[in-house]
Amino acid sequence: MGDMEKIAETVASLQASFEEHRYICSDEIATAVFLAYQLRKPILIEGPPGVGKTELAKTAAEMFALPLIRLQCYEGLDESKAIYEWKYGKQLLYTQVLKEALGEVLGDAKGFRESVEELHKFGDIFFSEEFLEPRPLMKAIKEEDGCILLIDEIDKADHEFESLLLEILSDYQLSMPEIGTIKAAAEPPLVFLTSNNTREISDALKRRCLHLYIPFPDVDIEQRIVAARVPEIPPALQQQLVAFIHELRNLDLKKSPAISETIDWARTLVLLHAEALDATMVKDTLNVILKFQEDIENVKGEVSAITAKVAR
Amino acid sequence: MGMDRTISNFIRALRNAEVRVSTAETLDAMSAVELVGYKDKAHLKRSLSMVLPKTADEKNTVDACFDQFFRFQDVRGENAGSGASSGDEDGEESSEGGDGEGGGAGGDPQNQNRSKKKSKSKAKQNNLYEEEEEADLGPGEITDAHSQLGKLLMANSRVELAQSMAQAGEAINVREIQIFTQKGLYARRIMDHMGLPDLNREISDLRTDSRVPARRLGQQLKQRRDFLREQVRDYVEQQFLLNADVSGKRLREELLRSVKLSNVEHRNFRLIQEMVYKMAKKLSTLHSRRRKVFKRGQLNVPKTLRNNMSYDGAIFDLYWKSVKIDRPKVFAICDVSGSVANYARFMLMFLYSMDEVMPKVRSFAFSSDLAEVTDLFNRNKIEEAIAKTLHDYSGGSTDYGQALLDFKKLCLDDVDNRTTIIILGDARNNHGEAHAEVLKELYDRSKRVIWLNPEAKLAWNTGDSEMRKYGAYSHQVEECNSLMHLERVVSNLLRQTS
Repeated sequence: MGDMEKIAETVASLQASFEEHRYICSDEIATAVFLAYQLRKPILIEGPPGVGKTELAKTAAEMFALPLIRLQCYEGLDESKAIYEWKYGKQLLYTQVLKEALGEVLGDAKGFRESVEELHKFGDIFFSEEFLEPRPLMKAIKEEDGCILLIDEIDKADHEFESLLLEILSDYQLSMPEIGTIKAAAEPPLVFLTSNNTREISDALKRRCLHLYIPFPDVDIEQRIVAARVPEIPPALQQQLVAFIHELRNLDLKKSPAISETIDWARTLVLLHAEALDATMVKDTLNVILKFQEDIENVKGEVSAITAKVAR
Repeated sequence: MGMDRTISNFIRALRNAEVRVSTAETLDAMSAVELVGYKDKAHLKRSLSMVLPKTADEKNTVDACFDQFFRFQDVRGENAGSGASSGDEDGEESSEGGDGEGGGAGGDPQNQNRSKKKSKSKAKQNNLYEEEEEADLGPGEITDAHSQLGKLLMANSRVELAQSMAQAGEAINVREIQIFTQKGLYARRIMDHMGLPDLNREISDLRTDSRVPARRLGQQLKQRRDFLREQVRDYVEQQFLLNADVSGKRLREELLRSVKLSNVEHRNFRLIQEMVYKMAKKLSTLHSRRRKVFKRGQLNVPKTLRNNMSYDGAIFDLYWKSVKIDRPKVFAICDVSGSVANYARFMLMFLYSMDEVMPKVRSFAFSSDLAEVTDLFNRNKIEEAIAKTLHDYSGGSTDYGQALLDFKKLCLDDVDNRTTIIILGDARNNHGEAHAEVLKELYDRSKRVIWLNPEAKLAWNTGDSEMRKYGAYSHQVEECNSLMHLERVVSNLLRQTS
């Protein structure tokens, strides 16, 4: 615990620690994690795909040396997949066993009333923790020493699912009709939610979270990211490559290249033993950074001009 | 306590700028402030802009407000809201200011900045207005001021001055300030109310006075008047920040809502666009998706077991997995021909916004032939999408009959009892074949057909308008040529769908 506190003591210490784990983050990102840790609030992370939203949670888990529990959202996700499920097979088996043993159990109970009373003593067994199959959210709550809970792509889940999250996000507890309320252990989980903004997240959910928007990084930060992730890259190539990507982001593309594409491209070029960008190589590897044929066609014509521009 | 007031004032300014801030968020903001303090402004700004806003747009507003607001604020947490001037070691003065703020006049934080600016000599303790003596009149004997404001200025009482300023502000209703161009006006009114004319007269009288002490007083008064003027200006500025700006915007919005869409000026498009977007969003949130359990599809084992538990484990009540997601479909058909050119832009804007907020909107445009523009909308930004649509499809002469036939050919199969069809157009068919029977077919199959006509009701059915024929096969027919109409239609739609 002491370690965690030390890491999260100031924004600067967080930033340094993230950097040690090869995650270069802006002041905003570090501030968000700082506040999340200090105020015990979840962070809702928005931004274009590929800017490192999920990576932030993963790195935080690594950094704080906490287990990462991940809940990937999708359409139709419901409580039985996210919170808990009963072990039906086991329950069924037990009913069969009970049926066999019914005579013994009831023993010398006389009459209907007494039998029912006897049976009542068994009723709750079926819905006790013995028969409970915890899913990510409950696992996160039950984690003794705290954990990082990553709720990924919350915008993919249905609107109703958000309501299920409200209780855990604001009070770090879960209410189950059969068992009651389960509260988080002494150390509640640090929650990261990510959204690609395919739909609006409800206000109720947003209100419970810190709101972090991660945009495409500026040249300086992106250069540091590339240097951290692909340390073997020659400095000249690294600068040109980042500048090239930034030029592309200014174009009107169907999908602008994100950081993950920059890193992939850097790795590709390193594999090709490039020392600097040249137009033919860029053309050959455009498919690494652009994911739509349409975009590739559009950019091809400009490649020479942009390459010349960033080579200066 | 002091800083709480700073932050709650800031939140008031935010609310004014249309950022919704709930009580819970206010509390969060306070704990954030407690954590990061007022010292590092950039840090504070980053922190607040993580706690308070909920969208990227709001974030921009919060950042802008922060810059504007904290420009005046003394952000030193320990005594923000007490009258100490930052960087001034004049202990006496700060303590004087300290009790002074109890009065709680709205404009006090500015005092601090001002007095800092002016503070040069620390010799004159307890003197609010640092003296900048002119060469000919050194310190010395001085006569008493006669005018009321003059007396107040010479009394050196920050509290009374601030109070008097706040009172004057109340008296002239500074809270009603609406637009930034009014700032000068309000500042002047406050000065006048505080007795500036008398003071001016006194100053000009004193200048020509033969006695040195009197002339000295004149100089003093002049300096203090200029200082007061600055303070009043800042006071008004902050009042503006707290109370106005948006009401100006609201006023404009109010006006725009009732203006005919064809008359809206180009520079207001942005605002209209926002309003249309808001409306479309309202519409979509009520179109919630509902799931239904159907007697079809895969066996839902867990649920079946659970529900049969009470039957001794014998399974006879089956549950099926197939989950039907009820997503309403909207087909929107927009006339973009010459006769409705002025409206078409807004209708398309509405279509585009709806498309953005609802997952299943298919949009069509026609003048003579009809074509689907959903893809075009998805791929382009709003201005481009609208321009392209108008360019590609507005050429022909209007033919509703053909358009309906085309629509039928394109997607009759997709129209079912969950479909809403919205038609935007004036139904002026150039005396062509109306093909109302096609609309009837759509009417029978769909959940609803809504016809929005940009013409005034009186003009319907005159000339080549086929409104009567089409109206018969629409669930709802509405006049729609201003945002107010549009909003009414939308809210009706909402009521019926919910």
